[in-house]
Amino acid sequence: MNKLAAKYLRPSQIPTKACHGCGIGMIENWLLQALDEMGLKQEDVVFGTGIGCVGRQTFATWGGDNFGATHGRALAVATGLKIAQPDKKYLIVVGDGDAAAIGTSHLIHAARRNLGVTVICEDNMGYESTGGQFSPTTPAGYVTNSSPYGMAEPSFDPCDVVKAAGATFVAETTATQWHQTVKIVKKALENDGFSFVHVRFPCNENFGAYALGTRDTLKNLEWIWEHTQGRTVDGKETDFTWETGIKHDASNSRPEFSKILRDMNERVRAKMTEKGSGDGGH
Amino acid sequence: MPLFKLEKKAPKAPAGLWDVVISEDMCKACGFCLNICPVDVFAWRKVANKLGWFPMYVAHEGNCVGCMLCYQICPDFCIHVGAKEGQPVAGR
Amino acid sequence: MAVTEIALTERLVAPWAEWAKQYREGRRLLEAGTYALTEGAIAAGCRVFAGYPITPATDIAEYMSKRLPQVGGYYMQAEDELAGMHMCAGASLGGLKAMTATSGPGFTLMHDAYGWAITNEIPLVVVDAMRVGPISGITGAPGQGEFYVARYCSHGGNIETIVLSPNSVQESFWLTIDAFNLAERFRTVVTILTDQVISDMFEDLFLPRDYAELGGIVVPRRHNLTMPFYPLNSDAMDVPPNIVGKGTGVCVSAYTHTEEGYDIEAMEAQWAQTYRLVNKIRHHREEILRYEAVGLEDAEVIAVAYGAASRTVKTGVLEARRRGVKAGFLRLISLWPFADELFGRDARYLVCELNYDGQLVREVMRAAPDKRKVHFMGKSGELHTVAEVAAALEGVARRDRIPELPYIWTEVR
Repeated sequence: MNKLAAKYLRPSQIPTKACHGCGIGMIENWLLQALDEMGLKQEDVVFGTGIGCVGRQTFATWGGDNFGATHGRALAVATGLKIAQPDKKYLIVVGDGDAAAIGTSHLIHAARRNLGVTVICEDNMGYESTGGQFSPTTPAGYVTNSSPYGMAEPSFDPCDVVKAAGATFVAETTATQWHQTVKIVKKALENDGFSFVHVRFPCNENFGAYALGTRDTLKNLEWIWEHTQGRTVDGKETDFTWETGIKHDASNSRPEFSKILRDMNERVRAKMTEKGSGDGGH
Repeated sequence: MPLFKLEKKAPKAPAGLWDVVISEDMCKACGFCLNICPVDVFAWRKVANKLGWFPMYVAHEGNCVGCMLCYQICPDFCIHVGAKEGQPVAGR
Repeated sequence: MAVTEIALTERLVAPWAEWAKQYREGRRLLEAGTYALTEGAIAAGCRVFAGYPITPATDIAEYMSKRLPQVGGYYMQAEDELAGMHMCAGASLGGLKAMTATSGPGFTLMHDAYGWAITNEIPLVVVDAMRVGPISGITGAPGQGEFYVARYCSHGGNIETIVLSPNSVQESFWLTIDAFNLAERFRTVVTILTDQVISDMFEDLFLPRDYAELGGIVVPRRHNLTMPFYPLNSDAMDVPPNIVGKGTGVCVSAYTHTEEGYDIEAMEAQWAQTYRLVNKIRHHREEILRYEAVGLEDAEVIAVAYGAASRTVKTGVLEARRRGVKAGFLRLISLWPFADELFGRDARYLVCELNYDGQLVREVMRAAPDKRKVHFMGKSGELHTVAEVAAALEGVARRDRIPELPYIWTEVR
């Protein structure tokens, strides 16, 4: 087994419940590399996740403390946890449903507050756990289980949303950019503030089967590769291309949320001691 | 240019300096490692593993040039690639 | 009519019956229920509040925003109630006592969070200051429409819940400390069902001089650092809460889980988990039972109420006694687990609630020996008047029915 998995993961939960060829495990491998290269230990990191493929397949794989929140609410729980345990690194690994649909409100406000967590939004462009319905990140026109005539709604990029909300580090990569992802995750973890890393990855069982017409793992990863490069395997232009790389880096430029509250407490208590009202000044 | 190239072109590095280990009972037979490897280290087993997949196995460890692509692409934490004892490369 | 002295036995079964005697040094203030609730939480060691302003619980948020920084705690204003309760759950998981406060419209949003906190045995206190419904109802009027919702506060069943209800400003202070204690001892979410009247009204409030001296009555937060994180198949109380961030390797899950906390799809696990979540409360009901009783020994008709309704109902009972009706008064303070044991008497019951669809009355009908003797006096939007209660008690005692009274609902279907 991969040495980093032996170092960081929970043996009883490996092999994961992910389907064969699923990008979730690949990305988790890169997360472990980033943690290892930064010298972080298992007890330094709290792993949080949600519901759905990304939630279910990653939950409890982490050997240290971890939580699987209700759908979309991982960031709300992380906000409370960060206040109580501010010295840990928080890796919040959620899917496109959790982050860009049901949990977008919490995503926006965590970014606005500049909560010191790193969100890895692993995006398979649909609700694959429930069989392959479309999500707010499904590309326009694609056929899915709930868009049999083609996706009618426009989609959006959660990177734009968190950037507008005030995130201090925003980046995007795909499942064919292993080195870039490791580097970007390291930078994201170094930001004492809200970091958002958006990683697109292939789903073979559902998105592959219904939107791309094949469950072939190689073809579906090629599809990701094509839309990362902007060119198909036979040299033509793709229907769209993802803009990858660091989109916004204002790392460590704004105070982190839990620190804002701690600093405020210090000021309030200093004033109280000044006035001599002691504790419990009711 | 495809990700999984049919024409394999090995990077310029010496072969035979690397240990390659696959945990076959964790393999879900996605085929990524075999298809990304430029030097044909891997092959399919003919007998299924406990999960019910026909896993990958290390058929030609001596070919390995340490490019680490298989390690990076495996979705199931199966692969370990490390420098053999006493080699100058400290493992990328 | 000459004023006669009536000697009735009064009984208060609650820990603060003793606490009030122990703590005599402090200040007397004229304050609102929300203020008392806040101070009770601070006294109990609450250091995190995350919520969303909503009438009539808004003042709790405002007081908390002022008080928590003074005691080294954290006030967070969440983007909605669901986020607020999840933030409290996260903070409690991280080792800090936490509370949120809302009213009906926010309470409904908390179901997901309730389930998550209860399944993962996270201590929390949630205040629901009820007002009349359905939905937003009349913003400034009291209600008691969340009696069942507080018990069945999440989806999927397989849980037991603890719900308490104060009926005065002073009681709001002590009861909140009690709620935090129960939350710690049972590792669960304790709901305080108060209402718009008890929250907003001003009464005299005694606060102990120094909260640091309450060590004898406040259950402190302890941390569980070893396996099993979830002692399944066990009904044990006083198991220390789990903590995230100390490297114990604890898993906190949204699914049916193992003792380590990760998800598992097995009948044994489902049984073992439910055994724990239900029986840790059911098998220790005597630790949770709290009530007030007046004149029950010889009562032919017993008025049953809780919260704001109980204030005028109690006076109504005394008035009925003056009119020669052998009336008794039973005020529930612990609403859930429901105290079946208090309804063993084969008397008539008059259940007075601030709702028209009849909620508490259904439980009383279920628990009482003869449900035909249980009468419903529902009123919505205003408290029952003393005259109405006395007339109803007379009617039930003498003619087995409540007289026609405007805006009083008596049907239970």
